[in-house]
Amino acid sequence: MGKIKELNLKGHLLTAISFLIPIVCGAGFLIAIGMGFGGLSQGQLVQGEFEIWDALATMGGAALGLLPIVIATGISYSIADKPGIAPGFIIGLAANAIGAGFIGGILGGFLSGYLALAILKHLKVPKWAKGLMPTLIIPFFTSIIGGLIMIYLIGSPIAAFTSLLTGALNNLGSTSLLAFGGVVGLLSGIDYGGPINKTVFAFVLTMQAEGVNEPITALQLVNTATPIGFGLAYFIAKMFRKNIYTPIETEALKSAVPMGAINIVEGVIPIVMNNIVRCLIATAVGGAAGGAVSMSLGADATVPFGGLLMLPTMTNPWTGVAALVVNILVTGFTLALIMKHKTQEEISLKTDDDDEEDDIDLDDFKVI
Amino acid sequence: MKIIGVAACTVGIAHTYIAQEKLENAGKKAGHEISIETQGTIGTENELSAKQIQEADIVILAADVKVSGRDRFEGKRVIQVPTEVAVKSPNKLIKKVEEVMAQKQ
Repeated sequence: MGKIKELNLKGHLLTAISFLIPIVCGAGFLIAIGMGFGGLSQGQLVQGEFEIWDALATMGGAALGLLPIVIATGISYSIADKPGIAPGFIIGLAANAIGAGFIGGILGGFLSGYLALAILKHLKVPKWAKGLMPTLIIPFFTSIIGGLIMIYLIGSPIAAFTSLLTGALNNLGSTSLLAFGGVVGLLSGIDYGGPINKTVFAFVLTMQAEGVNEPITALQLVNTATPIGFGLAYFIAKMFRKNIYTPIETEALKSAVPMGAINIVEGVIPIVMNNIVRCLIATAVGGAAGGAVSMSLGADATVPFGGLLMLPTMTNPWTGVAALVVNILVTGFTLALIMKHKTQEEISLKTDDDDEEDDIDLDDFKVI
Repeated sequence: MKIIGVAACTVGIAHTYIAQEKLENAGKKAGHEISIETQGTIGTENELSAKQIQEADIVILAADVKVSGRDRFEGKRVIQVPTEVAVKSPNKLIKKVEEVMAQKQ
């Protein structure tokens, strides 16, 4: 286990995802606008035979088709630094060529990165050949080894597995859709943009790269709805003459809610920290409800990020609105119901004490 | 003591900056001189100067992703944590950093 942790697989994947997100967002909006106005994503734009909407859709489609390459390059770069970029790019293209898609791109990236690293470490060259290492030796040998492994060994099984997975997801019955959405929503609701959320995110992003947009939509709608639910809870609780937030928390909400509207859930963390269990219950219940609604109605944003901005990219934006409303209401009401009333005395007490903080997990703490 | 650091999270628009703010506040509260560089989606902000790096006693990397320009900290004592730790427990993190410094001197 220790060895695996040392490899920092997740860190490399997250680094690549951080490169990927802006590309998917930009391309997602291009294709959504283009197709929204009747454009088609085409393999080639023939001069004089296309409209601007076709151009937009084609740009977006072309970029989205390159996602396996982006993820492979990103992972490889994260592992092997600059020498990882070239082979990551080439092996990512190999993954695309054999139809291994996004999952192929992920595995190809790791393959490429570690191969490049191994060559860097173990292949000693005479001084005059030093310049050849990054320009020829690493890119060529990493690509030929990694690329051939991708094409002859792992590519086809991955392609088969990917189509099995996407096929299964596309054919989920309504009960399974409800359950799947519920689980996605629940998992993303319980840690406010933390590690669980990011792991689920990596999985649903993979699905989106394979053309299944619903799971990621469910996840991000939950992330959007959670902070807004916290805001709504304030007003619901007020109706029952209940104060559930301290003034500092109310102040935090003023930025947390607008941040939530554009898909940043982290604004509520300071509030959650003061009352972890109750907040967790409320967001988990709300998230499960919102996720379930989102999946069963088939909300399908083509962008993986953006909060309310995701709505116009859906085939039926009302499906996303419905999921948001359900999630916000459930989270809001649950919070208002289960949070303790704060007396005047408690409100005036500022909770900025070191003892309130979580203990640091020594596994997370590395001295280098 | 003089603390410098880098914060970088996956999406690069929220955690990065929360971690920076919390660390700087916690560090100042404990009486240290502290400066945290952010590497978000927008790029590097509040970049550490060569002088700051040279004078620093310790480097905190609060990052979930690859930190660019790590070679700048070569030869320095570096502590690495996920951004989450800096967001959730900044004061305890600073205390821990002080312990590490005390041990190794």
